[in-house]
Amino acid sequence: MSDVSNGLPPGAENISRGGFNLHAGPIWRLADEGAVRRFALPVGEKHMNGSGSVHGGLLMTFADISMSQTSRAVSGAAGCSTVSLTCDFVGPAKLGEILECRVRVTRLTRTMVFLSADIGVGERPVAVATGLWKIV
Amino acid sequence: MTPAPPPPGFTETRLVDPFELHIGPVFEQGAKGERRFGFRVDERHVNMRGVIHGGMLMTFADAAFGQAAWDACDHANVVTLNMQSQFLAPAKAGDWVEVLPVLTRRTKSLIFLRGDFTVDGLAVFCVSSVWKILGVD
Repeated sequence: MSDVSNGLPPGAENISRGGFNLHAGPIWRLADEGAVRRFALPVGEKHMNGSGSVHGGLLMTFADISMSQTSRAVSGAAGCSTVSLTCDFVGPAKLGEILECRVRVTRLTRTMVFLSADIGVGERPVAVATGLWKIV
Repeated sequence: MTPAPPPPGFTETRLVDPFELHIGPVFEQGAKGERRFGFRVDERHVNMRGVIHGGMLMTFADAAFGQAAWDACDHANVVTLNMQSQFLAPAKAGDWVEVLPVLTRRTKSLIFLRGDFTVDGLAVFCVSSVWKILGVD
C-alpha cells in the first residue's frame, strides 16, 4: 500500500493497524537504507502542542513504535516489550512536516534488543532516542 | 461504552495541547505544586495485545510533568529536554493509572522531575525528566 498524497515516497507502507498505534499515527514504513530501518509520520493538527510544535509525547510514541517494529523484525519474535526508552528533544517540528525516524540495532542478544534512533525533518534533528526491548 | 469515572476527589485537568486533548481526558487531585494526576485506560490507549501502549504512558507522563513543571515556575513557558522511561509492568483497559510528580530540583532555567506511575498501588511505569524554562539563561 502506498500513498503519495501526503508527501510520502512511493512504496511507503502504513503499519498502523489499530489501537494507540493508529490513534496516534498513522505511521509509515519506508525503504531500508542499508542497516537503517526508516519510518515516517506526517504531522497533523492532532499531533501538536499548544506552542505550535509537535508534542513530545507524539515524538516518543513515534520512536517507540518504530523501535518496537524493528525489534520484532530483527529478532523474528512475535512480540517485543519496551523495557526502557530515553529521549532527548533536540528541536521543534511543525504542522505539515514529515518526521522520519531512523532506527539502528546496537546489539541483539537471545533475550534483548538494544536500539538507537534519531527523528528529524530532512537534515534537521528533532529528537534522539535509545532503548531496550525484551523479546517475548 | 462510557468509561468508569475517576476516583473520588479527582477533577478534569484543563489541557491545552491538541495531542493531549486527543489522548485525554486527564484528571488531577490536590493543590498547586503537589497535584496528583491520573487517567483511565481505554480502547484508544492499548496495543494489539490489549496492553497499554508505551507511547500513551510517555505522553501522559509528558502531560502530567508539564503541569508539574508549570506549577514549579508559575506558568512560564517550558519545554521537555529529556525523558527517561522504564516500563515495569503492563496495564490494561479499565485500569486507573496515576502519578504524583516529584520536583527533584529547580534551578534558574531547569526543572528536574521524577515519578512512579501506579495501578492499584503497583508501580507499572517510572520516569525522570528534565525541563527547560524558556527565555532564561
